[in-house]
Amino acid sequence: MVALARKTLIYEWRRYLPASLAVAFSGMLLLVQLALVFGIFNGAAVYINASRGQIWAGYPGTQSIDLGRGIPRDTEMHLLADPQVAQVEPFQWVNGDWRGRRALGSVSVFVSGVDTAPDALAFARVIPPTLRALLNEPGAIIVDRADLPKLGISVGESGILNGYRVHLVGTTNGLRALGGVNIVASLATARRLNVGGDPRPAYYLVRLRDPGQAAAVAARLDPHGSERRYSVWTASTLAARTVHYWLFETGAGLGVVFMSLVVFLVGTVITSQTLMGAVAGSISEYATLNALGASRRALSRVVMEQAGWVGVAGLVGGGALSALALVVAHSQDVPVAITPLGTLACALLVMGITLLSGLLAVRTLRNADPAKLLR
Amino acid sequence: MSTATAIRARDLAKSFTVGKVSTRVLEGLSVDLAGGELTMLSGPSGCGKSTLLAILSGLERPDAGSVEALGEPVWYLNRKALQRFRLHHIGFVFQGFNLFPALNAVEQVELPLSYLDLGAAETRRRAEAALEEVGLSHRRKLRPAELSGGEKQRVAIARALAKQPQLLFADEPTSALDSVSGQTVIDILHRAARQHGTMVLCASHDPRLIAHADRVLRMEDGRVLADEYHPHPAVAEEPVA
Ligand SMILES: Nc1ncnc2c1ncn2[C@@H]1O[C@H](COP(=O)(O)OP(=O)(O)OP(=O)(O)O)[C@@H](O)[C@H]1O
Ligand SMILES: [Mg+2]
Repeated sequence: MVALARKTLIYEWRRYLPASLAVAFSGMLLLVQLALVFGIFNGAAVYINASRGQIWAGYPGTQSIDLGRGIPRDTEMHLLADPQVAQVEPFQWVNGDWRGRRALGSVSVFVSGVDTAPDALAFARVIPPTLRALLNEPGAIIVDRADLPKLGISVGESGILNGYRVHLVGTTNGLRALGGVNIVASLATARRLNVGGDPRPAYYLVRLRDPGQAAAVAARLDPHGSERRYSVWTASTLAARTVHYWLFETGAGLGVVFMSLVVFLVGTVITSQTLMGAVAGSISEYATLNALGASRRALSRVVMEQAGWVGVAGLVGGGALSALALVVAHSQDVPVAITPLGTLACALLVMGITLLSGLLAVRTLRNADPAKLLR
Repeated sequence: MSTATAIRARDLAKSFTVGKVSTRVLEGLSVDLAGGELTMLSGPSGCGKSTLLAILSGLERPDAGSVEALGEPVWYLNRKALQRFRLHHIGFVFQGFNLFPALNAVEQVELPLSYLDLGAAETRRRAEAALEEVGLSHRRKLRPAELSGGEKQRVAIARALAKQPQLLFADEPTSALDSVSGQTVIDILHRAARQHGTMVLCASHDPRLIAHADRVLRMEDGRVLADEYHPHPAVAEEPVA
């Protein structure tokens, strides 16, 4: 069998290059927009991602971490009963209203009440033990450095939170929230700020002896039945639930879908036009083959095989371009995050672009009329 | 040399309509063509030579009349059967060479053979033999861009001959070539008719070639005006280089 498709691609690569580039850039656009959106919405799960510990227990069915409600205090005992559990720690959630300088009005804030022990889990990745110890002072709070202008305050100054005077004892990085300002306080301070709210913790964080067992232990600790008073998730599951909730709550998820359709359309138009041009350029050769007895189906296979190789080249090129774009974004502190499922979806869309373009190019073969060769 | 009737065409009619104008191209044309003969179809431009070729070879459906090729009623076959018939029995040489730029000479010849499911070894053997027959064995690794016009047409002929078709149609095969190359091409077609008993029908208005035909059909206005046999056509003695 003469490898017509491949030999033509190699010999006339310039002709097919635009198609491969269109596929590659489509792939890159798809992946980068997805990575950006995931990167931004990962901020909604900062409480989980900035903390240590492998398991979270919270109100049954909670869809997003910021929707937590108080759960029974005996949850802690239940969790500690499991031999794998090494440490359990309460996490208090308080919605607040901040008043700093008069000119800035009020700002809605999320207060996280955390354990102040040196080995505490909550925000352990962004608050070192020395800074955390400062929270022991009543009314002490920590915020992200980037949120200072919003609050109109600097370290050592104070403001009014839910009617109580609090003062800023330090700042850190990596605490930024989506749609508000995160404020970290001790459990005691948080309890005082929680005027009229549920005094019970919204979550319990769990550290396991063997982090590799997280999924199995979470499944075992999660209470079954309709009477359950709390749910148990692995940290990554709760983070994923939160990101998904925000994606669809804000409409950003639909935006991603819409943008993907646009990229798919543009990619298909350019790729198919290039392939159609290539087929049209060889139309009398194809017609000759048809006159000599090669079936339409056989000719279509040649075109589809070419589309397939163009797609493979585009996929490889798109992968390289995406990797480059993500590395650059990362180095510039642009929030990006990719998931295996998202990457797979992008790859499938790219193959869809190729397949559809190939099918459109096959239609051009209809012009391969051998009778036209006799004139 | 076989003289069995390879093609029997009766009362062929064909007209083309462009806009509101309808042109009659063929009018009640009947012809019998024999295997082993090189028949030249000559006549002024636009008289319907190519159209007749297309109808006889199963590429263009006539408005009326019948074509029987190798005993098959060509225009009663469905599209698939017609394609199979062309695959197994018919070779074409066109004015344009229509070679794939990416393939070398052997691959050009192998390509249509590959649809016959002969197996790799037999396909290669036949392709090499066909190139040998047109005197291009030494050019077998070259692509079209590296071949002269005459050589390209010989590759195209090898591609048509390698299938060992009983019917070979050539439309103006020499019009893009200089006279020596044209001579070579017509000699190859002639030998194909003699050695393999192939029916060769060649449309051309090149008067130099007429002397080499076994039979000359002169067409005008959609009819055959004259039908002449040449008992001893001129055959080049020296083998093609
Ligand atoms: N597809 C078509 N549509 C309309 N008219 C056509 C078509 N094919 C052929 N014709 C007309 O039919 C007539 C005969 O055409 P044909 O190609 O058979 O001539 P020819 O004898 O081969 O001429 P030449 O020697 O110039 O190749 C011409 O007048 C041409 O315009
Ligand atoms: Mg013609």
